[in-house]
Amino acid sequence: MRDIPGTVSCIDGNTFLVSDASGDVESSSNTPVGLFAADTRFLSHWVLTVNGERLNALSVDDSQYYEVTFFVVPGGAVDYVQADVSAIRRRRIGPDLTESLTMFNYGQQDVDLDVRLEVAADFADIFEIKFNVQDKVGSHYTRVEPKELRLGYRRGTYRREVSLSASEPATFDPHGLRFTARLRPGEQWSTELRVVMRALRPDGVDFRAPLRALRPHDSTLPESVRAWVEAAPKLDTENIALQQVYQRSLVDLAALRFAPLSLGGASVPAAGLPWFMTLFGRDSLLTCLQTLPVTPSLTPPTLRILGSLQGARTDDVLDEDPGRILHELRYGESAAFEEQPHSPYYGTVDASPLFVVLLDEYERWSGDTALVTELEQEARAALAWIDQYADLRSTGYIWYHSRNPATGLENQCWKDSWDSISYADGRLPSFPRATCETQGYAYDAKIRGARLARTVWGDPDYADRLEREAAALYDRFNEDFWLDDRGYYALALDGEGNRVDSLSSNIGHLLWSGIVPPERASRVVEHLMGPALFSGWGVRTLAEGQSRYNPLGYHNGTVWPFDNSFIAWGLRRYGFASEAARVAEGILYAATYFQGRLPEAFGGFDRHTTRYPVRYPTAGSPQAWSSGASMLLLRTMLGINPHEDHLAVDPALPSAFARIALLDIPGRWGKVDAFARHRPDQP
Amino acid sequence: MTATSAFFERLTVAGQDPRFSNVCGSVRFDIRDGDRLEQWLLNIDHGRMRVTRSAGPAETVIRVSAEVAEAMARGEVNGLAAITRGEILVDGDLAMALRIGRLFPRASEQADSDGRK
Repeated sequence: MRDIPGTVSCIDGNTFLVSDASGDVESSSNTPVGLFAADTRFLSHWVLTVNGERLNALSVDDSQYYEVTFFVVPGGAVDYVQADVSAIRRRRIGPDLTESLTMFNYGQQDVDLDVRLEVAADFADIFEIKFNVQDKVGSHYTRVEPKELRLGYRRGTYRREVSLSASEPATFDPHGLRFTARLRPGEQWSTELRVVMRALRPDGVDFRAPLRALRPHDSTLPESVRAWVEAAPKLDTENIALQQVYQRSLVDLAALRFAPLSLGGASVPAAGLPWFMTLFGRDSLLTCLQTLPVTPSLTPPTLRILGSLQGARTDDVLDEDPGRILHELRYGESAAFEEQPHSPYYGTVDASPLFVVLLDEYERWSGDTALVTELEQEARAALAWIDQYADLRSTGYIWYHSRNPATGLENQCWKDSWDSISYADGRLPSFPRATCETQGYAYDAKIRGARLARTVWGDPDYADRLEREAAALYDRFNEDFWLDDRGYYALALDGEGNRVDSLSSNIGHLLWSGIVPPERASRVVEHLMGPALFSGWGVRTLAEGQSRYNPLGYHNGTVWPFDNSFIAWGLRRYGFASEAARVAEGILYAATYFQGRLPEAFGGFDRHTTRYPVRYPTAGSPQAWSSGASMLLLRTMLGINPHEDHLAVDPALPSAFARIALLDIPGRWGKVDAFARHRPDQP
Repeated sequence: MTATSAFFERLTVAGQDPRFSNVCGSVRFDIRDGDRLEQWLLNIDHGRMRVTRSAGPAETVIRVSAEVAEAMARGEVNGLAAITRGEILVDGDLAMALRIGRLFPRASEQADSDGRK
């Protein structure tokens, strides 16, 4: 897995194309470039030449996520370019790919053009690319027809195929196609290439056909994006940076929407480009929580699909238990043949409580009790999972210990890399592990579940029971996790119940969940905003001074915008408005260094030292919960909260933002506006 | 009796499944063994389940070989993976098919009895 600088992406949900700046794709085995759908690479090579020469980009327009236009001329970048001949490649992605190619002759003489497109399809699974697996079990096939080239891959009953055709006469061969044209001075020539990706069943039916039926033509995309942006609240501010982040985030959330086959056309957010273009329980739930004030339409389908795929049985390979909400769902070859446990994989301990948290928060915004009724059983099962299946040590906590040591996840909290949970001295704790923020989510889920039971499900006894359990968890947690000499909560408990004493950003989530006694909050906040955790841009995942701290450590020192957005929400919950505003300012300003697009993570270096946020090498971008972070930070600055049937507004802006208005915020109140001005008596 | 018929017989007897109390619909299993076609029709009405050997119409049809059906009944099949690799063919409502899939056991469940509450 490595960074791919200089790439250009074209995205439509879990279908995407990553190419170089001239529009070409030349994949190497471990780089995620090419055309992908459903976790499979359908084009691994896509190289255009004109009279034997590669093309070179003069400019690229990727302002629409589903469409990219490359202005190209033949010849290498180092040569003097005699641009008599120039070309425009315009590609658009939907369920399939179309690319129009137009060649111009602005010279004084006739030119003969030999236009060649080299094509190959390796049908690599995204995990084969991630882990650099080269040998495929099945076999490839090629069919050259007069008007079409078909490349396919077959393994037993599994079959994937890509076909390439063109609107102009072309000669097809096993490695691509060729056009010849003569252009007189001032003339132009063009063709449209069509690439169709199929997932074929043995009876010839294409799994992907319903996706095309739902969106008959890719030309409907601009309309769908326009409607999406139109439906969202309008941001009115004098701050151009904030305006840019908001628009970018809104459009990126549109880009990452995809329609799983089992949802009949409704869209849910995919987690992020390029490695996570699929459904993740945690990512989609947190993204929905972040975006409720702006794009609430994401939430019902997300809850429905996660509910419909909720664990029902005990399966050690999938880490499945009854009631457990899934971690990751994949459609590629490695999932199909169970070489990876992703169909679906349940190895997460936070998605189940967060499912209940989102259901409640959604109802508070929307008043949609019908959905709460529809998902009552799923919510009850998720709550039951917390006590019946997650409490591996019978101590009243959510613990994790994967039952699939070969391909399961060691760490099943949001920091899910292998070394993310460590003691301050760097040692890795034994299993099972219970991370602190997960207990906060469980507490919040019980409180919120009780509200739903009382107000919607008509079950006050169950509500009382959940509240009693929540109160007991609150007391227990504050006894067992609190490090009184340090003034913060332990990152986790280890397999023997000892405290894992690292100082980490996880303590910020506890404020969001409300499990911190008010008298302890200021000590927690001092740590969050102190120099060891706060970089100036945001709160680091792991504090400076911890043995494993590294400003470029994936979960051990980088700053994650999503993490910070929930910390800011927690700070506001406990009345630390100016601290929340500082976090919001830092993260939103960092976004300006990424053209308004917050990446998955960036370096934890001190803001005053580097003066810009250092790019994290393999950060996903766009990333749904990073796009969602700007929405949640906006919510925290405006202090908007549903109260019964109206929206309360209690703004606290950082000095960087003089005025913010969010207009037409949808909810049970219809549509209302929230206005905020920076007050000089605030920081 | 095959594992498949035993599985459907069990469903016939059970009659009611609280996990399906929100579910209404019909699903037919078409199980092919060479030239022989065995069909089971499940009608679900708010959790009340009626199971018959019938070729009657259904909103969702699940087609499998007898071999795959046996493996499913023994709890050896991951349904979603099998659909993705083309071993189980679903026509109609995929979400419904996935729900129905929960009726099938999983092998590790039968072996599992240690330390879970």
